[in-house]
Amino acid sequence: MSKPTVGIFGLTGCAGDQLAILNCEDQLLDLVALIDIREFLMASSENDTECTLDVALVEGAVVSEKDAARLRVIRKRSKALVALGTCAVWGGVAAMDRGVDRKKLIEEVYGPTGLGYDSIPTQALREVVKVDLNITGCPIEKEHFLAAIANLLNGNAPAYPQYPVCTECRMLENNCMLVERGEPCCGPITAAGCEARCPSLRVACVGCRGPATDFNVPALVTMLADKGFDRQRIAARLRTFAPVEVA
Amino acid sequence: MSVVVIEHLARVEGHGGITVELEGDTVANVRFDVFEGARLLEPLIRGKSYDEVAPTLSRICSICSVAHTLTSLKATEDAFDVHVSPQTELLRELLFRGESIESHALHLFLLAAPDYLDYPSAIAMAADKPAAVLLGLRMKKLGNLIQETIGGRAIHPVNAVPGGFGKPPTVDQLIELRSGLTQGMADSDAAIDVMASLPAADFCHSDTVYAALRSPNLDSYYSGDEVMAVSDGNRAIVHAADYRSLTNEQSLPHSHAKHSNFRGKPFMVGSLARLTVNPRRLTGRLAVAMKRLKFQLPADNPMDNNKAQALELISDVERALEIIEQLLRAGVKDERPVPIHPKAGTGTAITEAPRGMLIHSYTYDANGCIVAADVITPTALNAASMELHFRRAVEQCAEREEAVISKRLQMIARAYDPCISCSVHILRRR
Repeated sequence: MSKPTVGIFGLTGCAGDQLAILNCEDQLLDLVALIDIREFLMASSENDTECTLDVALVEGAVVSEKDAARLRVIRKRSKALVALGTCAVWGGVAAMDRGVDRKKLIEEVYGPTGLGYDSIPTQALREVVKVDLNITGCPIEKEHFLAAIANLLNGNAPAYPQYPVCTECRMLENNCMLVERGEPCCGPITAAGCEARCPSLRVACVGCRGPATDFNVPALVTMLADKGFDRQRIAARLRTFAPVEVA
Repeated sequence: MSVVVIEHLARVEGHGGITVELEGDTVANVRFDVFEGARLLEPLIRGKSYDEVAPTLSRICSICSVAHTLTSLKATEDAFDVHVSPQTELLRELLFRGESIESHALHLFLLAAPDYLDYPSAIAMAADKPAAVLLGLRMKKLGNLIQETIGGRAIHPVNAVPGGFGKPPTVDQLIELRSGLTQGMADSDAAIDVMASLPAADFCHSDTVYAALRSPNLDSYYSGDEVMAVSDGNRAIVHAADYRSLTNEQSLPHSHAKHSNFRGKPFMVGSLARLTVNPRRLTGRLAVAMKRLKFQLPADNPMDNNKAQALELISDVERALEIIEQLLRAGVKDERPVPIHPKAGTGTAITEAPRGMLIHSYTYDANGCIVAADVITPTALNAASMELHFRRAVEQCAEREEAVISKRLQMIARAYDPCISCSVHILRRR
């Protein structure tokens, strides 16, 4: 069997999901023996930018026409497109721009020169093209990436937790940041898969993995409001990594 | 007129390119093009509470995420007059060293070395030179182990919070790190062997102004609040609160990164600048390694930044070990972060990210919410200096073959170890 062809791409973001791939130090050389990486600009200066791909892994959000055009080309070339990381899956921190006048902000930051820059409201990949698999996380857990590749090689679809961080946190028997410590923890609405990393370190969840599938924002907002946090602060916190509707 | 264009620079973080316009033999125009999309994080965090600032601005860049997090915390604590414990200071410096080891190993072995040996990537290089690539991966993993143990995660650390750490490491965890670092001592010597074996990169010479955080006592990436600029034996000191005099920024149409000058001259930040500003660190194993690398200060070749990074791998491992010994001697306390009492005011912090000086400056309201944020990154600071060195390299290149010029330009760009996602983050308007 010929090796599956893979492309690894970054749109606008921090490159953390590509770095998470490069952080698989123990698996990297075995991995490249099993898959045929044709394009990976962050790691190679020899790239086939036109070949068809079995899998495209794309991190980052779409914040420019150039990003959108690149993404459409990648989609056309690929049998399967995987959104890698919270920016690709939800828009990430750049999506804090929902409902904001970007033009005004750009002019404020860059002066009149900025008005000529290519800049559009932040979008997740699925708002621009069809996405076949979402692997969330800011950054992704490298184990989730490796599981995706292993499943791909075996022709399976990987499955990731749909439940919230609280489920993992309870199983670890951590003290509850929200109930017992009164901190604005986003665990109840945030997708698990991180082994409740932050609450295990006595740090409240900031929601970096984006919303869980079955989440109840109004209940969390009410609970936080009961704890004395004002609604504006709650909304700002819940919207940091994904444009969650906070009614 | 002929034009050399490197459309999309490979083996760097982010999206950038280089354009050089030649008129006959004269270099008419040189541009470091940055077309990374603007995420506008600094204006978008206005109104956010102080505890959410570091985890949000960390996302400016993955490779420098420890530096962004800790610089952010230092600026916030400066604004609120918070003084952290000596243990926290040590753990933060240790976390910085972990990031530096990871970043330098990634850059030297996976991104820069393939140029010297004419490979397109480290993956291709691994087929012929597995030992060098495995050494790089091992050092990278060591840096990540430090970041995971102290910061809670290799990318975007979660454990460093305003006032200290969520949960300090245990004695057992520190002992495990110590054994990794003992191997790291041997590996950092081996890294010098690899660097010394690479062909010389001798195609760009230039007078250069260097700037770096001035360390008060021991060399530090984290403590201190003065910047020293060194040029031709002349020295100037700028205090953190006056950082704007150091960054005379301009917006340019070809770049989403603003450009900085110091007294009208471009300046270089990063490993080479750190060694130039704090040369007293260069003793012991470092002095021996310097000889093996044929490395001398002051340097007039920007490619020497790669050698300087290799030297820092040695000092980072040594410093990390010293810190762990110090923590183990003192006994690690399971302490909580010091309480924060927000107040209206401004705080500024300067640190050394792996690729150079990083500045965060915030203004808070009385409730501890952000009124204004200003982030100045090493790659933005370096942009003008990179363009100067691109120009010198083309001027000093006897050949006019595009492939030769293009390769040299790319090698210089990589020697700066640019983080292009970082470079676009500037708030202030000029």
